[in-house]
Formats: sequence, C-alpha cells, structure tokens
Amino acid sequence: MALELSIITIRDIFQDEAGKKSRYSEEYKSQSALIILDKQDLAGLGVKDGQSLLVKNDVGSVVVSARLSEDTHPGLAFMPNSPWSNQLVSDATCEAGIPGFKGIKAAVQPAEASAAVTDISEILSRIKG
Amino acid sequence: MAICTGCSLLCQDIEASVSEGKLTKAKNLCRKGHGHFQASFSERTSPMIGRKQVDLNQAIARAAEILRSAKSPLLFGWSNSTLEAQRVGISLAEKLGATIDDTSSFCQGSLMESILSGRLPSCTLDDVRNYADTSIFWGADPSNSHPRHLSRFSYYPRGEKRQKSYEEERTCLVVDVRMSATAALCKENLFRVSPGGDAEFIEAILSVLAGKIPRVGDKKKMIELGTMLKKTEWGAIFPGPGLVYSLQGNMEILEKLLARLNEITVFKVVPMVGHFNMRGFNELLREKTGHINRVSFKGGEIVHGPEQSVMTAAKSCDAALIVGYDPLSSLPFATAQALARLPLIAIDPHRSLTTDAAEVVIPAAISGLEAGGTAVRTDGVKIEFEPIIEPGLPADEQILKRIMEAI
Ligand code: SF4
Repeated sequence: MALELSIITIRDIFQDEAGKKSRYSEEYKSQSALIILDKQDLAGLGVKDGQSLLVKNDVGSVVVSARLSEDTHPGLAFMPNSPWSNQLVSDATCEAGIPGFKGIKAAVQPAEASAAVTDISEILSRIKG
Repeated sequence: MAICTGCSLLCQDIEASVSEGKLTKAKNLCRKGHGHFQASFSERTSPMIGRKQVDLNQAIARAAEILRSAKSPLLFGWSNSTLEAQRVGISLAEKLGATIDDTSSFCQGSLMESILSGRLPSCTLDDVRNYADTSIFWGADPSNSHPRHLSRFSYYPRGEKRQKSYEEERTCLVVDVRMSATAALCKENLFRVSPGGDAEFIEAILSVLAGKIPRVGDKKKMIELGTMLKKTEWGAIFPGPGLVYSLQGNMEILEKLLARLNEITVFKVVPMVGHFNMRGFNELLREKTGHINRVSFKGGEIVHGPEQSVMTAAKSCDAALIVGYDPLSSLPFATAQALARLPLIAIDPHRSLTTDAAEVVIPAAISGLEAGGTAVRTDGVKIEFEPIIEPGLPADEQILKRIMEAI
C-alpha cells in the first residue's frame, strides 16, 4: 500500500555537520536518507521506525529510512534537505523562479526487502546520466 | 580571536587553534561551527583535470581555456566566498560576457531584494540585542541553521534596553508548519501555519490588527497574537526559507504587514541568510548592475531576469564555473543533471558531488580559517577577518585572478 504525502525539506544541524565533513560518509547518509512521518502515516504503511521506504514521484525515486515524528502532522512528511530529497524535486519553478524544495508530492510505500537505502554514489551516477 | 564562516552570523569571538592537523582548542563555536572547522581536515580537493591529478597551474590553464572557448558560460556559487573574491568574479563575468548568479537565486533572493531596496525596514542584529522585546522566527529554525542567533542577539542576551532579557523582557515567537527545535523553546508561542499558508496567515494578522475576526487559524490564538504584536515596543521578524518558499517569492504581502505594524510600533526585518557571504554578493552585484542576482553581461549589456537564473542557465549555457558550492547536491535533480553534462570547473576546498563530476577541480583555501578577507553578515554589517591557519593554498580571489589573467 502507498500513501500520497506532501514532503517539506528541513535543515538539521547534525546532518549539516556530517555533510560538511564528507558527502560520502555513512554518517551523512544516515542523517540525510530519511523521511520523518507522522505516527498515523507510519502505522498506515505498516512499518516501524527505521524500516526502509520507497519514496517516488514523476521526478525520481529514493529508498530512505523511516523515522517516527515526535510531532503530529498526518499527510505531511519531512526530509532533511539533501541529494536524496533533491531526487524528488522538480526543476519547474514558480513565477519568481523558486523550485518546490518545500512542496514535494510523492508516493511513499514500504521498500522491497532486498532494496537497500539509496547510496550517494548511485545518486551521482544518476545525475551524470 | 578567529572568525567562524559556518553561517552568516560570522561569529568573531572564536578561540581556536590547530596543531598537527587537529583542532586543539575550540571555544565559543556552536556545533555547526565546530563541524565547519573540523571539516577543514577531511575530504580536501586537489587539482584535477578529467579526474586525473595535475598541478595547480595546469588546472588553472585548463579552466581558462574552457571559459575562453565557451559561448555562454555561467559563473555560479559565490555565497561562500569573500567580497574580494566576489568582486573578481563579477569582473570575470563582465570580461567573458557571462551569466553570473548566486545561491540567493533559488532561495532568499526576493527577500534580500526587498530589504536592500528599502521596501522592508531592517536593522542590525546589534540593534536586536539592544532593543528588541519581541523576536519572531518565521519559517526559520535558527537552532539548526544559525545556532548562536538566540544567544548572541535575539533572545538570551542582556542588551542595552533589555537587561532583564528573556526572563522578563523578551518574548520569542515562532511561525512554522512544524514543531521545530526553535519552536520547542517557545512552545506556547508557536503559531502553526499549513504548508503554503503563510500569505493567508498574514491576512489573518492584518484582520486582527484591524479589530476584525480572522478567517483562518485558531481565532483565540490569533487575537492573542494581535495583542502581543500591539504591545511590542521594538520587534524583529526573522524570515527563513520556509516563509520565502511559502510566499513563492512574493514579498508584497510581507511588506504590507510591516507597513501596518510600523503604524502601531517599531518592527524590523532581518534576513536569515544561509551561507556566510550571500548578502555580500547581492550587495556587490546590486552596486554594479542594479540587480542582486541573475545577471548576464553578454555582448557588453546587462540583462537580468529568470533566463539568467541558475535554474534556467544550467540548461542554456555551454560551460560553468562553480565557486564554493555544491549544486549537484543542492539543486533539483534535472538542474543537477543539466550542470553535470557541461564542462564544469569547480573551485572548492572540499570534495563534493560537483567536484566529482567536474572536468577541472581547483582546490582553494577555506575563507575564514585559511584565508582572510571581508564578508557581509546576514544583517549587513561588514566584517573583516584574518586566517588562523596558513595552508599554502591560494584563496578563491587569487585563483579567479589567475584565471582572469590567463584569459
Ligand atoms: S552561529 Fe554560525 S558563525 Fe557562529 S559559531 Fe555557529 S556556525 Fe559559526
């Protein structure tokens, strides 16, 4: 089962710190490749905190790890701003030329058991085409 | 004393020393700043052409060659460079007839434009520390983005007129879609907006201030907010990316709110710029061209508009020089893809997706830590600094000058 969610990207000091040190570290990956979901949405998907989710829309898809939110926001999810979230951001902009970093729409579903969290090297090779 | 270029607060009270490739002393740095200093020891770049190690002179020569033969090059990044380097960058764009743009283009540009042109009343953060009794973080989460904002300026310090500070004299409010780390600090003063609902929320404030019943939000809470705003003696609003994105860059409604608030009391707006010298670039380019970003010098003429933004130019240019930024990590997938297809020149102290996809990589000293210069703090205060480490690497400014000479 898949849920259609709105995703807003956010800043996180720990992720920022990890990214400054290395884009290629496990630490940066674990702080970036995640999606923070409302308790109800997590239950709706039948997954637990830490399990892998496939997040997909017309722009692209990534496998990231689920995080239980401490806050309540059904239908709304948050991802740290990162190469992972940018896989889902369209390059279409509003009139002022701003892309929708904070207005991503995507379908979220449990990832297949064999699917690992998307690696940054995979993202780079997709970008390089 | 050292300076931290980890964010646009440019904290000047850092005591840091480095020996044997390690940070041995670090006082007053926040976690983000500490990460920034630590990062100087990891994943540094070296000169490369086509992924092969070369010497610096060869890399600079190749960069000059690419730019010289390009018909419509794009020069992008700039927010993490000193004013001195930005000035050379703008001259280089002029000389090449290139398009030049910075990170404000897809983020805080419209807000910066409003502030620099005086449509939004602004002040320094020192004024905030001395006078503000109400600080409003709007779509901003300084606890994560500008960690020492509250302690140095907006909430905790005992300013000239605010000796009783946060215990009695200062209130901090958050307008956000979520319970951010900053919102958690001032819980009962979190005003939640729905995603994209900030314009409506501003309308609701204007209604309350006019003594009308607001159409959106919790009516009782909105009336409370109206009362808090009216009681404010000296207020400051700190709009973050959340607000700018939600308003889709349309600042008129925010300008209207500020005009109304200033009929009642004093309210100022101070931006929350991310990178340490984005504002510096915006000011410099504006002085030179009348525009803060998105400028083309093609054919010796100054053209400004969405066509000149990195989002569009990435697809229309035939080469790009990227300075101190990682657009392949930070921009939407298709824009990153468009950039990766070009001959890219990356001037950067750190390895990134962009340097890994670049035709030419030129290592640079880290401004603040390894190179001195001048930068403009998020509130417009100019700050000069000296390096604390001598890495033997050229700064952006020197590299750009050498590229310019070679062209
Ligand atoms: S608040 Fe910003 S400038 Fe100050 S120490 Fe932290 S990262 Fe550095």
